[in-house]
Amino acid sequence: MVAETGLKQTLALVLFSAPYGNQYADHMCRVAERALGKGYSVEIFLYGDAIHSHLIEQKPKNFFNIGEALTRLGDKGATIYSCLICAIARGYMREFDEAKKVYNSPITLPFVKFVTVQGFVSMIKRADRLMMFGSS
Amino acid sequence: MKSVIMELTHPPFGRENTYAALFVGSASVSLGVKVTVVLAGEGVYVGLKGQVDPQGNIDLPSTEQQVRDFMELGGRVVVEEQSLSSRGIFSAELIEGLEVLDSKNVTDLLLDKGDQIMVF
Repeated sequence: MVAETGLKQTLALVLFSAPYGNQYADHMCRVAERALGKGYSVEIFLYGDAIHSHLIEQKPKNFFNIGEALTRLGDKGATIYSCLICAIARGYMREFDEAKKVYNSPITLPFVKFVTVQGFVSMIKRADRLMMFGSS
Repeated sequence: MKSVIMELTHPPFGRENTYAALFVGSASVSLGVKVTVVLAGEGVYVGLKGQVDPQGNIDLPSTEQQVRDFMELGGRVVVEEQSLSSRGIFSAELIEGLEVLDSKNVTDLLLDKGDQIMVF
């Protein structure tokens, strides 16, 4: 999707619920995939329990695999952010890299970028459109 | 300046929704985003003043303080009138500075004033 300015439109997608207990994550991933196909620049923010979506080695027997879907989206150019304090609260951050001054999470899909609330606000500022999933 | 509306539809404390929304709301206002919080449905309980936890049983941040901090930073908080009246809540019971609007004006606000709308 290209604006009149010739620049790509940015679509921000905020997910606020964990995968599998409902279909918000599925729906968000499908919207993201379609948006990439339409030419949007897609940014995804995983907030609250939604951070469980980026856990490695998800193996749902019968459900849409959210980990694989996020990987496909990352491969296609979507930027995927995760809330750092949500991840710390839920035990995802196991190591602190003193040299780089960043937390590492060995159980998180490798392309996910952890950011603070400032990163969330930066995404809001960049986004031409924003959709939110999973807050009910 | 980007204009964001955050509609809160859950009461405080039972879920992370309210805390998470006001956390981002305050950060957004302090970083130059225009934010309006709309309290609707069960979310109107977020606007009650005098929320206390004297025994510390809940052990969660004070939602009332979050609302006050958000407004002090420049955020606007609107409460839907019909959601209040249907729950028997009077305007005098609300935190000072909250605006009560009828549902028509709340709807107009959502349709006309928000570049981005987040429902928590």
